This record gives sequence, C-alpha cells and structure tokens, in this order.
Amino acid sequence: MVKVLYFGIAQEIAGTVEEEFAAEGTDCLRKMIAEKYPRMNAVSFRLALNGRLLTAESSLKEKDRIAVLPPFAGG
Amino acid sequence: MKQEYLVEGPLTSSLISALLTLDNDDTGAGAISVFVGKVRDDEHEGTKVTAIEYSAYPEMAETETEAIITLVRSAFSDVRNVIIVHSTGIVKAGEASLFIMVTAGHRDQASRACRHTLELVKERLPVWKKELYSDSAEKWK
Repeated sequence: MVKVLYFGIAQEIAGTVEEEFAAEGTDCLRKMIAEKYPRMNAVSFRLALNGRLLTAESSLKEKDRIAVLPPFAGG
Repeated sequence: MKQEYLVEGPLTSSLISALLTLDNDDTGAGAISVFVGKVRDDEHEGTKVTAIEYSAYPEMAETETEAIITLVRSAFSDVRNVIIVHSTGIVKAGEASLFIMVTAGHRDQASRACRHTLELVKERLPVWKKELYSDSAEKWK
C-alpha cells in the first residue's frame, strides 16, 4: 500500500487529508484516484513522490508517500 | 538558528522588522531588496475578499525553498543571502503573506535576484490558497 496525501482543492474533493491505495505505479494510481473522485479530472494535478515533484511516471513501493498537488498558488 | 520558511498566520510588522535585521552583521552587503506580498480585497461577484486561507505541503516547501535559494545564488554571483517566508492559515486583507529579502554586494543584482526569487516562489512553492468572501462564500484559487 502507498499513502496518498491530498492538498488544496484535491483535499476538498477527496474529503480527506490522506488515504492508502494499492498501486504499483503512478500511472495506475492516477486512474484509481480519478475513478474514485471524478471531480479530480477537472484538476490538472501533479504528483510528488516522498516530497519530490515527479516529472515522469514512476513505479511505487510499499509505504511510498504520494502527494496530489493542484496548481500552486502561493504569494 | 534555522530560518523558518512557513509561518502560521500573517507576517506581522514585528516579524518583518526582525527579518530585515538578520543580515546586519554582513558589512559586505551594499544592497537589500525586499518584496512583501499582501492579501488584496479583490471584488468577486458583488462581494469582497476578506481573507485568504493558505495551506502548504511543509516537507516539500522546505526542499523547494532551499532549491530556490540555491538557484538564485547560482544565477546571481553578487547575491549574499536569500530569505523566503510564506504564511499558512488565515491572512486577512491588508495583511502580509509573503516576504522575500535578497542581500547583495550591489543594487542591480539585489533587485533582479529578488524579482527572480518571487517568480520561482510562484512557480515552485507548494502553497495553495482559498479566498474567503464577505458573504461567507469561499473559492480555491
């Protein structure tokens, strides 16, 4: 299982701060998240793996932390 | 002392004053350029923004802030220090939510590096905001 952390509007859509998924890769995880939360399709979110922004799909291992990151809006 | 990158609530004038004096001992710094971002009371469908609620991914915010500082230092050789502090939680209209300070030997690089830091913060810092309106509505931005 990997831990998925939600931020910004993704947290509101999921209705939770974090939850676990059984996913072996980020491509698979994206589909699982989009299926569970159809509203997430309207958010162009990126993923971070263990605190680092991902620029390509990645395989996942047990206890990885994946963050769902909507577009940043600091400042 | 380790510099905090995220601060709960508005950046108060006393905090900003303290940040401004952080490099007082650096007598080689001939220029300090500062940017302070404030919450604006924008109008929205007949109501006004009364506050912004900021949230962040602290673990990533720390690594990204450090990466931004490294990038700015490598792009501007005259830069001596870069300080970035962003609010989390609720910041009311008129209050400050972002502080950037760049010290450099001379004014040109201090000024340009400060602007560059701001653009990198906007692009890379994992911070989100929800506008809170005078009619109690709210909207993610």
